[in-house]
Amino acid sequence: MKTNLAIIGQGAVSPGGIGAEALLRGIPAETMVPFVSRPDRTWPVFKIKLNAPALERWQKEPRLRRASPISYFLVEAADQALAGLDTQARAQTGLVVAFSTGCLAYSRRFFESIITQGQKSASPALFPETVFNSPVSHVAATLRLEGAAYALAGDETAWIAALRTAWLWLEQERVEQVLVMGAEEFDSSSLDAYRSARWLRSQTNKNRFIPSEGAAGVLVRKARPEDSVVISQLADGFIFRSKAQALTAGERCLKDFEAKLPCSLSAQNNWLGVVEQALMRDRPSCARASEPPYLGEAVTASAAWNTLRTISFLTQQQPRILFPIWGGTHQMGAMALEKITSN
Amino acid sequence: MKRDVVVTGLGAVTPLGENVSETWTSLIAGRDAEAPLELFETKGCRCHRAATAALPSLDGASPKALRRLSRASRLAIPAAREALATAGLLDSAGRSLLPVLPLSVSTTAGGMAFGEEFLRGILAQKRSGLLGTVARYLPEQQILDLQIALGFEGPSIIIANACASGANAIGHAAEMVASGMADCVLTGGFEALTELVFVGFDCLQATTTDRCRPFDLKRSGLLLGEGAAFLILETPENAQRRGAQTICRLSGYGHRTDFFHLTQPQPQGQVLVEVMRQATDSAAIAPRGIGYINAHGTATPVNDGTEAQSYRTFFEDSYDNVRISSTKAAIGHTLGAAGSIEALFAIQALITGELPPQLNLQTPIPEIAGALVTGKESRPSPLHTMSVNLGFGGSNAALIFSRNEN
Repeated sequence: MKTNLAIIGQGAVSPGGIGAEALLRGIPAETMVPFVSRPDRTWPVFKIKLNAPALERWQKEPRLRRASPISYFLVEAADQALAGLDTQARAQTGLVVAFSTGCLAYSRRFFESIITQGQKSASPALFPETVFNSPVSHVAATLRLEGAAYALAGDETAWIAALRTAWLWLEQERVEQVLVMGAEEFDSSSLDAYRSARWLRSQTNKNRFIPSEGAAGVLVRKARPEDSVVISQLADGFIFRSKAQALTAGERCLKDFEAKLPCSLSAQNNWLGVVEQALMRDRPSCARASEPPYLGEAVTASAAWNTLRTISFLTQQQPRILFPIWGGTHQMGAMALEKITSN
Repeated sequence: MKRDVVVTGLGAVTPLGENVSETWTSLIAGRDAEAPLELFETKGCRCHRAATAALPSLDGASPKALRRLSRASRLAIPAAREALATAGLLDSAGRSLLPVLPLSVSTTAGGMAFGEEFLRGILAQKRSGLLGTVARYLPEQQILDLQIALGFEGPSIIIANACASGANAIGHAAEMVASGMADCVLTGGFEALTELVFVGFDCLQATTTDRCRPFDLKRSGLLLGEGAAFLILETPENAQRRGAQTICRLSGYGHRTDFFHLTQPQPQGQVLVEVMRQATDSAAIAPRGIGYINAHGTATPVNDGTEAQSYRTFFEDSYDNVRISSTKAAIGHTLGAAGSIEALFAIQALITGELPPQLNLQTPIPEIAGALVTGKESRPSPLHTMSVNLGFGGSNAALIFSRNEN
């Protein structure tokens, strides 16, 4: 990166609560949700209550009446990150959102009705909301962000692709600032997916895997002298298809970051946590971004939450932190976050 | 400083052929690939036809390996391989000569057929043997399939901006090269027909039970299709250093979101006009320089009238100079791949001078009637061609390709 990306706004919706502060202090409540394949068995999940006033207000917006939960998470987190930005500035703001499964709950409902009630019962109201970029369109339209807008798909590292896209748009002078977001919504079919992958093995406090949902975002621009927090390095594209390959992919990914850089640990509580432990053994760790409080696992939303949490670990004594992004299904990535102290 | 971007490789798998040459020959001959859809049951749908692609064989892949690949990967891998081959980036074993090759791709449904199989399984209370389906439906799995099959890695981006995604992926790749973020990028899009998406468009009554008739007053809906197309983009200096032949330049890109409605364009088509202006401005050309447009032209009642109006507004006095056709009547609407396949057609029109005819036309929309390519037509030396795409969520994108400057 020739130019640092300055973070000038933050927003989050998580099971810990509404706002970026809740990522550090909120204690999520568990909901027991049954498996689709075994309705008699349940697993704890961190679900966000849609009747929270901050989310309810968006459900009254005409454009968002039929929207999926992920749209409400996104628009609320986006609104927080854009606080103070006037209409003129919003017209010069781009939007890029990373998703893993996107509008999963609506997609499942839509296809389940086809399977159980037949193709004739398919809902024309539901289908458009299943599309990856529908929530992106809702956010842009509701908050009048008139710059470029992309929906990205991928694992946790799609968050890095989103940040890289923001950097590109800023370099190309397409926009003045970019809102970069990650978001996921929970659906009970995820429980069956995680069970198939054997990620739901342990419920001990040390090694819990609780599916979660939510959104978070950062508003970024080309760094200026007055900016205090920047992203100064991005790395991704180190692919793997097995645990052994993941380890070497992680090694290759981290080799361009200083060996003594403090790390913010954040891997999912599954096999990726084991990879993280192995790779980070010799590096100083500043904190574990994923605990406490533990907010559960929500792929791109987790990557965004943990970025915000890592920002809070930056101090004068610890002005630069390595934040690895452990992609669960494709590749490894990492970034360096820095606190700039003006003289 | 912005660098020039050139196209050095092209590859495609479409319902009209297993590569660029077969596809283009059939397209120019006026053939279409509409046929009864046999990939899945459509008993409860209004529409029962689509444009299905024949899957090319993948040399060296075992039957087990083929079973593990999604249909989307089976379309994407050969198309990407052809693009690498034409760019001179493939070794004798069919693998990339570049171990690190950035990727900018698009899809809307990824390997959704595996996701459908997974959901069917869990609803039937099946408790084992599902990992192979759920682990392979996510779009990054097709990217991983591509990277492993062709032997490269590197930063990748999957753009899912609905039916404009393919144009966005190529435009994004061009910006990566222009900005200096990358010297060479593999870019394109892929889409496989799946039941969820087919039924989705059918329940919206967006598919037709008649012929697909883009820009016709009697149009009644779209024909769904599938396929993949890939391009190699790089700087002219990089191409020269490698001794690669330059096919054309990618000179312009515009994109914007239309806030009017989730599934309908703003009736006057003003956002599309702005997107085309962005593209011509970035290419530093006037609208009259564009000799051919591969239009979005879905043949839905809502899209085509607005799109036709946009062209009329955009070209003003130079409207008589441009030729336009939508190739969706021939290959169907390939959704996340549409922008890439149709960009490839715009490139082919630029370098061959042959223009794809507008099929199934009976009574053209008056605003566009004079500009439509109605039969076998050629234009020996268009300097620039454009590809235009629109999608759900209001995604609008335009790409401009230009002849090499001597």
